[in-house]
Amino acid sequence: MTSSDALPTAGSPTERRDAGRVVIVGGGLAGFSAAERLRVLGHTDEITIVEGEDCLYDRPPLSKELFAEGFDVDALEFATGERLADLGIGTRHGRRATAIDPTAASVTLDSGEVLPADTILLATGGRARTLPVPGADLPVVHVLRTLADAQAIRDAVSAGCRAVVIGGGLIGAELASALRKVGAAVTLVDPSPTPLAHAVGELMANHLHGMHLAHDVDTRLGVAALIEPASDGSATVVLADGDRLPADLIVVGIGIIPNQEIGVAAGLDADDGILVDAHQRTSAPKVFAAGDVARRRGDDGVMHRREEHWEAAQLSGQAAAAGMLGLAPEVRGTPWFWSDRHGVHLEVVGRLSGSGTQIVREGGPHPAVFLIEDGLLVGAGSLDDANTVRAARRLIDQRIPVSADELADPAVSLRAMLRASR
Amino acid sequence: MSDEGIVVARVEDVPDGEAIRIDAAVTGTVDAIAVFNDGGDFFALDDTCSHEKASLADGWIEDGVVECPLHAGKFCLKDGAVLSMPATRDVACHQVIIDGADIRIVPNPDRLQ
Repeated sequence: MTSSDALPTAGSPTERRDAGRVVIVGGGLAGFSAAERLRVLGHTDEITIVEGEDCLYDRPPLSKELFAEGFDVDALEFATGERLADLGIGTRHGRRATAIDPTAASVTLDSGEVLPADTILLATGGRARTLPVPGADLPVVHVLRTLADAQAIRDAVSAGCRAVVIGGGLIGAELASALRKVGAAVTLVDPSPTPLAHAVGELMANHLHGMHLAHDVDTRLGVAALIEPASDGSATVVLADGDRLPADLIVVGIGIIPNQEIGVAAGLDADDGILVDAHQRTSAPKVFAAGDVARRRGDDGVMHRREEHWEAAQLSGQAAAAGMLGLAPEVRGTPWFWSDRHGVHLEVVGRLSGSGTQIVREGGPHPAVFLIEDGLLVGAGSLDDANTVRAARRLIDQRIPVSADELADPAVSLRAMLRASR
Repeated sequence: MSDEGIVVARVEDVPDGEAIRIDAAVTGTVDAIAVFNDGGDFFALDDTCSHEKASLADGWIEDGVVECPLHAGKFCLKDGAVLSMPATRDVACHQVIIDGADIRIVPNPDRLQ
């Protein structure tokens, strides 16, 4: 077990408290990160993770590597059983929490068993949003959220099979790319000509979406109105404009719904997510929430968007651990995410839409984009050029003034701009 | 000491904050080796991130740490210890000797072919 020898980074221990027995509902990245961080911060009492699935695993590879050789649980697990035992993290697999008592801080499982606790963390994540149209429940229609979902898609695919992916966001694009790579004939449907524009800006969104065409993914503008079953087990996606897309496999990637019901039933404040403060505290003193299920309500009452990215889940889990112990959370860097499609690695930090001036850096195989406001960088996005975004993140976090001319000049590295400021 | 290890580069080839990748054939190791310059201190680790397949020589180098260019898993430059997910396993480290203008590597015996 990790002892209390690694405390320093978690901010000022204003009023350290004992979290007692901690039960974590959900063993995804947020839940596991919280457990691990509790140990780093010197928590010695019991930690139990309740997880309906068979192991604690990482999800990003599900939409990228699902057809790769060696894609299996071992490659995805956060920790081996031995490592969990070393950390003193107990797990209850195959059991779902059905209720919490926020006053007594107990968690009821679907077996009827009641786990006593002193502090609860809800890290229940989200579930894939389904298509609200007739035929959406046909066996040929898949979603992608869990390892089992990924395995089912893998089993349904063969070279030359016709796949229709509904939703051109990050998951849809990654999956379309992975399906194309294994030889499926892929059609990608989205109501926007530039999906992800809100996340990466119009120019980058346009560049990214254009990559599908270059890789023989047929992109269609539209929305699915109906899925018609065929007698051979395939189906036809009928778009609202009447277009018909026959498919052997249909995957819907149109976002997630937070699994907040267990918190709502317990009376916690919720609104498209269980509401939390900067310490991941919910409206019930003994209950914390982190990851995709949590939504930040600022001290000023302003509601933030739920952050559905990997690092956000990791950091919110860690912040919850600090919060449970009465410690201030670590200062968080500007939000960052990555994605991969057609062999190209996208990284984005901050925001690339909304107010400000967009700067484009041309000169490489792909553009890099920046958004500046009042002389400061507020967002950056790059393809196959991670260090530009890593440098941008530091320029943003440290509020280092930047010049538009330098940002646009491919001869000036952002690392050099960062160094020059020191 | 000048006969110890293998000359893999000159000091001037690896500017501060950067790294180079030395092919495994040069060092006779099972993986390529990344040689880092962090503020004038030189370090050498197995080049392939223990998470997926990225080259750590392309990573972000700062304060004794290299951040993987794909998913930002972090490793200690001194000993290859994993510091941050998504990576969960350490990478091997190798000894670096600065011999005048030359950078020599003494490969980790556990990582020889």
